Amino acid sequence: MSQLAPSLTSRLPDLVGPARVITNAASLAACEVDGHSPSAILQPESPAEIAEILRFASAERLAVIPMGGRTHLGIGMPPRHYDLAVDLSRMNKILACEPRDLTLGIEPGVTCADLARELLQKGQFLPIAPPFNDRATLGGMVAAGVDSPLRYGYGATRDFLLGIEFVTGEGLISKSGGRVVKNVTGYDLHKLFVGSLGTLGIVTRLNFRTFPLPQFRRMFLVAFDGPSRAFEFCRLLVNSPLDPKVLEVLNPGTAALFQSRGVDFLPSSSWLVAIEAAGHEPVLVRHERDLASISREAGAAKFISLEESQRDQLFACLSEFPSIALASKRPGVIFRVPAVPSAMPSLLEKIRCVADDHNDDHGLTCAILIRALGVVYVALLSPEQFPVGDNPGAPLINCSRSMFDLFISHGALPTIERCPLDVKTALDVWPPAGPENEIVQRLKRVFDPREILSPGRFRGGI
Amino acid sequence: MHRSIIRELETLLGASAVLSNSEDLLLYEYDGSIEESHPDAIVFPARKEDVVAIMALANRHGLPIVGRGAGTGLSGGALARRGGIVVSFSRMNHILEIDPENRRAVVEPGVVNLDLSRAVEKYGLYFAPDPSSQKACTIGGNVAENSGGPHTLAYGVTSNHVTGLELVLPDAQVVRVGGRAMETPGYDLTGLVVGSEGTFALVTEITVKLLRLPEDVRTLLAIFDSLEEATDSVAEITSRGITPAACEMLDGYTLRAVEAYVHAGFPVDSAAVLLMEVEGLRESAEAQAAEIGEVCLRHHAREVRRARDGRERALLWKGRKEAFGAIGRVSPSYYVLDGVIPRTKLTPTLLRIEEISKHFGLVIGNIFHAGDGNLHPLILFDHRDADQFRRARAAGDEIMRLCVEMGGTLTGEHGVGMEKNELMPLMFSESDLDLMRKVRAVFNPADMLNPDKVLPLGKGCGETRLQPFPVSAAGKA
Repeated sequence: MSQLAPSLTSRLPDLVGPARVITNAASLAACEVDGHSPSAILQPESPAEIAEILRFASAERLAVIPMGGRTHLGIGMPPRHYDLAVDLSRMNKILACEPRDLTLGIEPGVTCADLARELLQKGQFLPIAPPFNDRATLGGMVAAGVDSPLRYGYGATRDFLLGIEFVTGEGLISKSGGRVVKNVTGYDLHKLFVGSLGTLGIVTRLNFRTFPLPQFRRMFLVAFDGPSRAFEFCRLLVNSPLDPKVLEVLNPGTAALFQSRGVDFLPSSSWLVAIEAAGHEPVLVRHERDLASISREAGAAKFISLEESQRDQLFACLSEFPSIALASKRPGVIFRVPAVPSAMPSLLEKIRCVADDHNDDHGLTCAILIRALGVVYVALLSPEQFPVGDNPGAPLINCSRSMFDLFISHGALPTIERCPLDVKTALDVWPPAGPENEIVQRLKRVFDPREILSPGRFRGGI
Repeated sequence: MHRSIIRELETLLGASAVLSNSEDLLLYEYDGSIEESHPDAIVFPARKEDVVAIMALANRHGLPIVGRGAGTGLSGGALARRGGIVVSFSRMNHILEIDPENRRAVVEPGVVNLDLSRAVEKYGLYFAPDPSSQKACTIGGNVAENSGGPHTLAYGVTSNHVTGLELVLPDAQVVRVGGRAMETPGYDLTGLVVGSEGTFALVTEITVKLLRLPEDVRTLLAIFDSLEEATDSVAEITSRGITPAACEMLDGYTLRAVEAYVHAGFPVDSAAVLLMEVEGLRESAEAQAAEIGEVCLRHHAREVRRARDGRERALLWKGRKEAFGAIGRVSPSYYVLDGVIPRTKLTPTLLRIEEISKHFGLVIGNIFHAGDGNLHPLILFDHRDADQFRRARAAGDEIMRLCVEMGGTLTGEHGVGMEKNELMPLMFSESDLDLMRKVRAVFNPADMLNPDKVLPLGKGCGETRLQPFPVSAAGKA
């Protein structure tokens, strides 16, 4: 645990008031990041307080990690230093919601579930449905660059984030973008914040474009006896006029995980494709008819139109894939690998080879979820009977290393999104820094010249 | 510029790739805006290596350098404000690769926007951003300005459709950012560079997303006797959950000018026309078109017409896409503005624009992307009359101020360039702008690449200093 000099500790209450400086052991432990705990947790309620905190931290060179629902703190490498946790959960107000403009302005600590409920009443939604939806905050999800099953139809966060207000590492209050749906005024600094893991600043306001809830939606599930037919189905689908909002491909390992969570309608031992259509009833009818025909053409084993309750169950599982994969407490590693559709069949074949090797030797299993035909999530999981809390050991690390190398040799840029700490001591969770690294490092120094924000957690050692 | 530098450029690129006679330079003193400036030389690189060599040479001699596509920009982005070398990308106009399976294309910056859509049509694909100038404007220019167009209402602006770039930095280094995949771990440099108005790097290669052509398109024209009923229809259409692919409005003045020129069938005694398009699956387009028609009639549209075939659709669109040309026939000069307001504030904003028009004694026509609140007021004036020119600029500034007061922004798609850089303090504080300046310096430390654009120069010129609009009041006006 970081130990602050008493002379510094005594100044913390001046920043946010004594009631919002937390130092009890249990709370500090809850804000642990990769085995490091802070000396204190500060709970600001305004941008001005955040600016005070960061000016203080910058002057004293104290390392700060901002956090919301603490659901994705495991992303990235362990921090080089960690003195103060800035807990944004008290900044949880919806600042502006203009249903007729389809725009929204919120503080970073609003949870995804609360926002979804609020928007639902207005007939709208934001296409962010992260794991741990009830605790995850919007600020955290933007910082973590999390995506959702709705990505295929509605794009990623960068596509519907209109602007932000933030405080830089030096404590300067600043902003980028705007509050209207179309805007090209000034440089788009907010694009940099998506997925930046709190290394550039602390966001104090997020402006989003919202979407009207579709009149109806329906999910379809198609089962195949192997990945090549599943991909052929996807190829036919994207070349058809159909307009699905969700398109996810699951390997049998992922289907088995979902079955273990009580999703009993999934065909076993199959590759599955989940598709959701949305809109007027005639649109759904058309999707059902055409999808059934494409399924037959691709040699599907089964085509199912899901009931509403089944749809909700499967959608929740797709959103919660990482939490479900790791829920059993057995050690596991989750990779996030961006890839183009044409590269996927051969990539999957190689993943299978590596996974089979390690399965034979050590009983590791492999659950795969392909999101929006653009991101492959691969979960490597230790055997069921693995003793809880035990060291994951060499097999998982070795397999992860082989996987990582495989992705790199395939020209992909993988990230390990979740893993036990032992894996991080053996492997970098980020791909090696690219040719753009010099620019990236200089940008970091513009926003956070003293490197006090989440130091060491990001790609390139940032 | 010294003759020896011209000779150096000619040695590098060949004599036919360098222009330096004053009559040749004349063409490059303008773009689509009302600004002008004088470059010293125009060069036409044919490949990335040429661009690198030009950049290195400019560096050596301390010369400003400005990238230029088709020169259709509306904020002076392609003008050499401090002189120097203009790099015209008209010879780097090759589509390097079409990858229909992954729905990507890799293009050089000089490829004309519409040419790309035409080249991929045989695969049933197209490039979504469609500025009105798409027959001429280049994808490199679109990347610089983060261009929009009528159909960006449904599909987003250029930055939503670019996944990777090859950059030549001001120090002549070549760096690739992003790629073909839909995301890259690390900071989103592609997202930062798109829309940086040519002040960060010269772009030599662009990887873009392609979309599938819709199965069906329905184009509707609703004719209103009241501007307010037209704008209310737009708000209701959006809030009903319909996202038209495009939703364009012309006010009475503009539609009359257009009708006299294009004969698109706009009734000349109406107050406003709404041109709307819905697309997608047959079933979806039909249901949405029916609903839009119903909303407009409820708001007392005089008539709702539907294009019956491709020819009628093209005619309706011609009325919109050639509106600027139509205005050019009735006024010696016009000043196209570009501002955005929340779409629910359309009516009060248009009323205020009318007041501004009266106050400055200038006719202002209105044409806009109503669906996303992106206004394009057209101020008519005679540039030969110095007083009118001054009033046109003043009226333009006033309208920009109004857009920011309404909770909107200074530009929706034309960029800041040299037209609005001094207005930036209306939206951004000194420290916001300072941060942007530092970010620019990461790429372009000496401000030699497209200098004196986007950010205020801070010279003041004895003008009243602009105050940033208070954040707390924005959106409540």
